[in-house]
Amino acid sequence: MANRRAFMKSGAMALFATGLGGVPSFIAATAGEKKIIPTYKKNKTLVCIFQRGAMDGLMAVTPYSDPNLKLLRPGLYMSPAQTEGQLFDLDGKFGLHPSLGSLSPYFTEGRMAVVHGVGSPNKTRSHFDAQDYMESGTPNSKSTASGWLNRAVGLTGHEATPFSAVSLTAALPRSLQGDHDALAINNLEEFVIQMRGNPLAGNIAANSFEQLYDQTSNQLLKQSGKESFEAMKMLDLKLVKNYTPASGAIYPNSPLGRSLKQIAMLVKMNIGMEVAFAESGGWDTHFNQGTTNGSFARNLKDFSDSIAAFWKDMAGYQDEVTVMTMTEFGRTVHQNGTGGTDHGRASCLFVLGNDVQGGKVYHKMGSLDKASLEDNRDLPVTTDFRSVFGAVAKKHLNVVDTAKLFPGYEGDMLYL
Amino acid sequence: MRYIVLIFIFLSLAFTVDPFNSDQRLQMPYKKEGLTEREAAEHLLSRLSFGGRPGEVEKLLATGLDKWVLQQLEQSLPDTDLEKRLSGYDALSLDNQTIVNTYLNAGQVVRMMQKKGTLSRDSMAKLEKDDYRKDVLKLMQEKGLKLPQELNRQLIAQKLIRAVYSENQLQELMTDFWFNHFNVSVTKGQSQPYVLTYERDAIRPHTLGKFESLLKATAQHPAMLYYLDNASSGSDNNAMNQRIKKMVPANSKLKKAAGLNENYAREVMELHTLGVDGGYVQADVTEVARALTGWTVRPMMKDGYGERLAKMQQSRLGKNVATTDGDFLFLAVRHDQQEKTVLGKKYPSNGGLNEGLEVLHQLAKHPSTATFICKKMATRFVCDTPSVKLVAAMADVFTKTGGDIKQTMIAMLNSREFWKKEVLRSKIKSPFELVVSAIRATNADLRNANQLNDWCTRMGQKIYSYAAPTGFPDKASFWVNTGSLLNRMNFGLAIAAQRIPGVGMNLLALNNNHEPESVDDALQTYSTILLPGRNQKENIGRLTSLVRDEALQARLDKALASTQSTATSEEDMTGGVDMMGEEKTPKMGKGKEKKMETGVSGQVAHVVGIIIGSPEFQRK
Repeated sequence: MANRRAFMKSGAMALFATGLGGVPSFIAATAGEKKIIPTYKKNKTLVCIFQRGAMDGLMAVTPYSDPNLKLLRPGLYMSPAQTEGQLFDLDGKFGLHPSLGSLSPYFTEGRMAVVHGVGSPNKTRSHFDAQDYMESGTPNSKSTASGWLNRAVGLTGHEATPFSAVSLTAALPRSLQGDHDALAINNLEEFVIQMRGNPLAGNIAANSFEQLYDQTSNQLLKQSGKESFEAMKMLDLKLVKNYTPASGAIYPNSPLGRSLKQIAMLVKMNIGMEVAFAESGGWDTHFNQGTTNGSFARNLKDFSDSIAAFWKDMAGYQDEVTVMTMTEFGRTVHQNGTGGTDHGRASCLFVLGNDVQGGKVYHKMGSLDKASLEDNRDLPVTTDFRSVFGAVAKKHLNVVDTAKLFPGYEGDMLYL
Repeated sequence: MRYIVLIFIFLSLAFTVDPFNSDQRLQMPYKKEGLTEREAAEHLLSRLSFGGRPGEVEKLLATGLDKWVLQQLEQSLPDTDLEKRLSGYDALSLDNQTIVNTYLNAGQVVRMMQKKGTLSRDSMAKLEKDDYRKDVLKLMQEKGLKLPQELNRQLIAQKLIRAVYSENQLQELMTDFWFNHFNVSVTKGQSQPYVLTYERDAIRPHTLGKFESLLKATAQHPAMLYYLDNASSGSDNNAMNQRIKKMVPANSKLKKAAGLNENYAREVMELHTLGVDGGYVQADVTEVARALTGWTVRPMMKDGYGERLAKMQQSRLGKNVATTDGDFLFLAVRHDQQEKTVLGKKYPSNGGLNEGLEVLHQLAKHPSTATFICKKMATRFVCDTPSVKLVAAMADVFTKTGGDIKQTMIAMLNSREFWKKEVLRSKIKSPFELVVSAIRATNADLRNANQLNDWCTRMGQKIYSYAAPTGFPDKASFWVNTGSLLNRMNFGLAIAAQRIPGVGMNLLALNNNHEPESVDDALQTYSTILLPGRNQKENIGRLTSLVRDEALQARLDKALASTQSTATSEEDMTGGVDMMGEEKTPKMGKGKEKKMETGVSGQVAHVVGIIIGSPEFQRK
């Protein structure tokens, strides 16, 4: 196993997994020239999924046993006792939304944990600010230039590869901005010098560009050019083009499904990826949220099926991957006048991995009676998001210095 | 007595005219730094415009360097071609009220219908169904309503078209610079409808005027008031407010405590004026926020609160409650009436609207602001790490002229640092600058901006969408990274091969309809056109060794023979957003293709593509 994770930085060649079905042609041409020397043991890959728009955690994982919930959101309340589309009872207190059905086995097997009542100490209910605070990892400071995942890359204690941190988005998310190299790729197939319909001309152009960038007097262009071509060569486009997910996994054809599928490809290429980032949208359910059907249920099903497909596809790699979800805040406990919920405070998140202490809802949630709610309306934040992010980074990415990861945070870590 | 008054008037006149008239003469010391006039002209085009067009260096030399710079600083060159190109964009001249009542998303329309009772709860539940959605959109069409995406499309298109075609290039650069400095973003739903008028009314008129005018205009514009939440900031420290609260029943909405929001107050000091190390503390943030309580936006939605407010304002009491200035609204009942202290300066109680304006004035004239703003300008126009000396020289003029941006620019151009050899071409173009400079350098015809916008996004700059108030960072390392660099190269290849719908390029016309005789010749010709002022020998030498390789050339011939350059037909690139809200941007390279009629061979396009994607073309 250790051997398979090995990676050689210079020379741009990755050591490919033996089980991948042959060495790609460009590797074949150069692999013989340079001996592959592993320089460090790669950490796991942490896959982060940001649910933008604020997911209603009280509907995804419902504290159905609290009678206040039914009072405050009669039109949105669900329970395990329902005959149709009933909740999946987790522990007599919480129930999993039926749309999360594809993930429920992992909870039962103890590989998936839920953290409830999680959020930011900053009380902002603005998507934009809350996302910014969660991604910078500094809930009370806007001037933090870097994102927490970018800092995590720098704290792994070893060199980075061009693919150490990859976001499957068009632009680099706030979480990954910062001093360390991070890559935003919307579509792996586009990560190549291309002349549409004429791959040969594309190759020739690539060759010209590589030499031109190598000769430029501008150091930044020279260095980035070198890294770009290294990264390009590391990427096994054949695997991308003819990709068949393992164990018959079927990804939903949605933005999240497509992103996770490409993350799976990158994991299998074994090119040193330790942080991967994907996004899921449509959680801002102010309007007609629905219960077992409707916009929320549909979105949650896509979320669940995408992650489940990814996990299935990761078959032989599951020991090397951890998935963590996050959302900027939760939604009001009461339903609003248009069949939805407004911006609230705490929500819930999911962590999936073979060595996660799962099968449990981690929470410090109190009663949902109005007087116990934050500002009489919202589920209070009882778990700081940094206690979860920090613990996951420590356990799965071997980030030791969590004080540097979350400057200013002095609370406990929540190990799962 | 009369004489004393006269003397006083005379003195005050002398004072307002003389000490403040520190207008300097433009004296650009390029010769002292060993530059020829031509090199200086090239540098000016590279820094004070979005890159030269073919033959523009010669044109600039004919005009004269000083005169050209002064014209750019005056920003009054006729722009008839640009105006013609913008005439089809009907949203550009609309006011905020029209915009917010015209560009509605489907959800807003449904809520509106619901309010009027034309929509039942039953049918609401069916909203997901496509046919229902069609009904809503049909209704929108009947009522002349449009989707917000269409507004965004026009906003983006006008920026690209202006940057390419405006004769007043510096004005476009400055608009880009100040917009980014006072950044707002269409990613925040509340401010999105106002971004177009923000750039047009709050930024553009002041780009080379006084800094304080910019600061005030941005502070009072709905886009900023919503973007940084000041619109919702209020206080209970208000006698009128307390009286009202006593009168209304316990469950009234008016009972709710008004909350202070410090978001804008913090950013106006950290990002707009003093800078993060500018000498303020958290207490100052709170005090500025208190001074700006009640600064909000006039309600503009039809049938809403707006009409009631207008009626109320006609009464005597109403005038004290709410003051409007355009779409800016000062709600006196939400203003904190107590005393405040900002950066050591006391503001007595009951300062009202004026108090906030005085705070902005205090911030604008603070020495930290002069340094912070001048450093940012020097970083944009000179180099990523300007010297302390240059910044100080600029800040001195900035302060003496009461924050005159034009005079500060002249101070920068009069500095030797601007002309230093190591400064030439040391900056990296942003993706937007790359795209615009490529079109300008090749005299291409920009007919539709949708695809170019997609390319900017792929290269890492989604314009008008930078979510954080910092704006895009102005340093090379932000723009140049592994992912974006390959896309820059691909952009070069795509645009030269005529594979970007909406952009027409005639490479033959660029060379006076003379077809290069060989690849070598093409290299020589187009390097000279696209990269004026570069060491052509060195540049061409590098490229030649690549294309002269005979084996390679044979492969290239063979490769390119199979795909001659093609252009995508016009019909498919109307783009835009249809009534269903789906963006009609044609997929890259998937439009109907037809043979290019310019007769230029694929090899020439290949060479031009490599030049545009090369490191040299990324520099400015």
